[in-house]
Amino acid sequence: MARTPSRPSRKPIAPPLRRRGPSRSAPSTFIWPDLRATPSLGRLRLVWLALLVACGLLSLNLLRIQVIQAPELMRIAKSQQMTYLRPFVPRRPVIDRTGNVLAIDRPVFKLFAHPRYFDDKKDQVAKELSPILGKPAQDLLNQFNQAKSGIKLAEELPEDTAKRIEHLVIDGLELLPNQQRFYPQQGVQANIIGYVDNAQQAQAGVEYSMEHLLKQSPKAVRLNRTGEGTLMPEGIPSGFVHQDDLRLQLTIDSRMQRAIAPVLAKQVANFGAKRGLVLVMDAKDGAIRAMVSDPTFDPNKYYEVNDLATFKNWALTDLYEPGSTFKPLVVAMALEAGALKATDHVYDSGYLEFDGWPIYNSDRSARGSISLTEVVQYSSNIGMVEIGRSMKPDVYYSWLERLGLGQATGIDLPFEAVGQMRDRKTFTISPLDRATTSFGQGFSMTPVQLLKLHGLLASGGKMVTPHVVQGLYDSNGKAYWEPKRAMPKQIFSPNNTQAVLRMMEAVVDYGTGKTAQVPGYRVGGKTGTAQKAGANGYIDGANITSFIGIFPVDQPRYVVLAVLDEPQGANAYGGDNGGTDR
Amino acid sequence: MISKSLPRIRWSQLFKPWENIDPWYLLCAVALMLLGSLMIESTEHGIADLHDGNFWPWLFASFKAKWFVHISTGIIGLGAALALPLFRYEILMQWRWIVYGIVNVLLVAVMFFGQEELGAQRWLNIFGFYLQPSEFAKLGVIIALAATLQDRPARNLGAMFQAIAVVAFPWVLIFLEPNLGTSLVFGAITVAMLYWGNANPGWLLLMASPLISMLLFNTLLAMGWGYLALWFVWVLGIGYVGWRTLPWRMWGGLGASVVNLVSSGLGGFIWNNLLRDYQKGRITMFMNPEQDPMGGGYHLIQSRIAIGAGELWGRGVNQGTQTQLNFIPEQHTDFIFAAVGEELGFVGSIAVLLIFLTMCFRLLVIAQNAKDDFGSLIAIGVFAMVLFQTVVNIGMTIGLSPVTGIPLPFLSYGRSALIMNFLAVGLVQSVANARQKARY
Repeated sequence: MARTPSRPSRKPIAPPLRRRGPSRSAPSTFIWPDLRATPSLGRLRLVWLALLVACGLLSLNLLRIQVIQAPELMRIAKSQQMTYLRPFVPRRPVIDRTGNVLAIDRPVFKLFAHPRYFDDKKDQVAKELSPILGKPAQDLLNQFNQAKSGIKLAEELPEDTAKRIEHLVIDGLELLPNQQRFYPQQGVQANIIGYVDNAQQAQAGVEYSMEHLLKQSPKAVRLNRTGEGTLMPEGIPSGFVHQDDLRLQLTIDSRMQRAIAPVLAKQVANFGAKRGLVLVMDAKDGAIRAMVSDPTFDPNKYYEVNDLATFKNWALTDLYEPGSTFKPLVVAMALEAGALKATDHVYDSGYLEFDGWPIYNSDRSARGSISLTEVVQYSSNIGMVEIGRSMKPDVYYSWLERLGLGQATGIDLPFEAVGQMRDRKTFTISPLDRATTSFGQGFSMTPVQLLKLHGLLASGGKMVTPHVVQGLYDSNGKAYWEPKRAMPKQIFSPNNTQAVLRMMEAVVDYGTGKTAQVPGYRVGGKTGTAQKAGANGYIDGANITSFIGIFPVDQPRYVVLAVLDEPQGANAYGGDNGGTDR
Repeated sequence: MISKSLPRIRWSQLFKPWENIDPWYLLCAVALMLLGSLMIESTEHGIADLHDGNFWPWLFASFKAKWFVHISTGIIGLGAALALPLFRYEILMQWRWIVYGIVNVLLVAVMFFGQEELGAQRWLNIFGFYLQPSEFAKLGVIIALAATLQDRPARNLGAMFQAIAVVAFPWVLIFLEPNLGTSLVFGAITVAMLYWGNANPGWLLLMASPLISMLLFNTLLAMGWGYLALWFVWVLGIGYVGWRTLPWRMWGGLGASVVNLVSSGLGGFIWNNLLRDYQKGRITMFMNPEQDPMGGGYHLIQSRIAIGAGELWGRGVNQGTQTQLNFIPEQHTDFIFAAVGEELGFVGSIAVLLIFLTMCFRLLVIAQNAKDDFGSLIAIGVFAMVLFQTVVNIGMTIGLSPVTGIPLPFLSYGRSALIMNFLAVGLVQSVANARQKARY
């Protein structure tokens, strides 16, 4: 194609022109001085220097960061990119034997304010929040002015309040969800259930002892998080947030618990007692149906409790001398050992002396020859000593051992105390020890242990283990797990326990336990008043009165133990506790 | 027989129009652009996997992807860079005022019709394409300044101030956008070109001295009154330089000192009253990014961590966790080097640095061998632009310089910048192509 004048600019670059040699003649259209760029060598050197210094500086710093500081920076990178995620799976709920919820997790929210991110004015935000939080707007405003971010406005906001705050759609407010244990029945079962603190740590009761059943603790998973804080889903195993519907069922009967609580509270108040306790056990299998103590606490507000002793379930943590309530058991032992027959009589001389220690009946009477029933009915100490003496010391001690004195009951509640008991040698040598043991003194046990021992009389001689946990059940009531309990050992024969029960019935019908009479029921029982032992022997005026009841006598099923600690007043004896029986 | 009758393709003839271009310079630019595309893809990689492994959805998604935009813009730019050497750059001597005029009109237009983003008005929306006039202004100013200095080398003060006046107008427009980064690049270009254009180094020092006094005075004042002696020595030294290099020596020297004294005080005033908060923050933040780790210092800290985590050999493309997990916001633009540092490691970073070094080296060679001052000055202007942007940008990612919003040439995502960089390549190649090469 021929060159056309329309493309004159191509001309100068045309090869023939450039081949001509070093001539720098410009095309006629351009006229400018033919100046050869001649930067001085010094200037060029300086530019080179700038280039090399700049590159050298960058290289050295890259070396510093990427080689020398690399391990540290790598560590920082990893630590900010990784996060350990432990999904929060709520604790399993606890229900009673009829399915009433005793403890359940529910979401609560913490509210943080970050005024730095407020779109609206601070006072506007304060005004909108004020009615929801129930705080004066001015207070909120003052809080907003304290910091630019991270101001904690409220804790433990319930879900609906959190929803209302969310609906305000205010930037700069942050709701952090958390789980909180909620006890709908408040203090009624507090001593059994215990509580979970704000750090999700179980502190007492079933919450503590059954932690392994209540807490579902999935493994933490290491995840990557992005710069914006989003978690990357890679690396989450399937079933990671699996959550079952299992509930821990207790043997406790909330209705019974609720019925007993006010009566006990009234009795404690009437007698000015330090505290009171009522235990109800189903002797068939040892299931505790009620365990009411007074005073109690609200596990929802465990932090309001000042006296730490309130938290302990003294039915199994505190020891006391059972006193007269132990007597029927000694009778049962003597019968079972074959030392006496139910129809036998013993001689109540009204006074005995061992190693210089006098022993009287509590009313200082002497009843002469009385039947075993009368011994129990009148709670005769001398009669009991005679019954005890009918057994050989070794045999006697073996029986006490077989009953499990000085051993734990194995109840499934935490912090159980173990009773005190003399060793075999002392017991066999000392007639005084044997004598006091016969009327329930000189050794100690927990109320629960006494309950367990009387369970022998109610169950036809079988040694059941008291317990409060029924098992884990799903929402359809299907058993997922039930504790395996050993077959109850037969300790007494049913004939003998029935004989002792009838003696105890006489206590209720004609003796010290008349207040425990229930129309239409045959009730057997035994009262007891024991002096409290302190560091230096018995404390004057400090008694523990108790009543043990078994009913119905014809088909024994339930064992009831009522205890008043340090009741005041002249007639504060075991018999008065009977009134707490239902 | 037939083969003889067919016209033989004469490869040498085909490439004749480009025979004198600098292949290394071109190669460096293309390599950086391709690497940029790869790294931009990597920064997007972790965010979305739109295609589910299917080809067509992948292709469709790719059209929207930034890496694809980068590479296609780069190919268009490369086309321009190859086309420009076919024209003689000397034409621009005549067109300089047209070029200069267009640049300034665009800069004025952006003031009135610009799109605002992050507190600055920088983009013009032209038929759906976003244009950043300040990027093209760099090249326009290089051309205008080169032409001015070609006409009248800065051997005397008058010529120097004439050249500065040419830069001043667009510079002010850009500073008002506000665009601190680009105005700094303008400064670097101007100083380098004046220096190359035979300006007295003393004058350049005097020009920069008020700024240095300002910094010295205010930082030393913050350290304590005693340190001000150092500043005083500086002012006296400047007076001496003025006395040595300026006409009317006495007054020149005195004037230089007085200007320095005044500017020192003025500095505090400007700092307190004129600079915007984000500018202040950016200037001081790099010295101690931990003062606001979740705010202004966040970029600096995260970018340094990313580069350090690359260690010697790097984590591998698409394997850099810091990059993939989006720890550095807007990483595909100004902080693309953090991705390079993390995924390609020290070795890759040094390689990138070497490519830039080679590019600068070739620019210097072209500047030296240009057939006239105009071409030489253009090459030096581009050299200054590339070097300054590279050093400040990489310095920023490793915590050596403030965050100023200066992109890394050819690597950072940004269509205007990439096109401009390739136009610069084309322009300088035109200079190279026109040089008289000794032939043997």
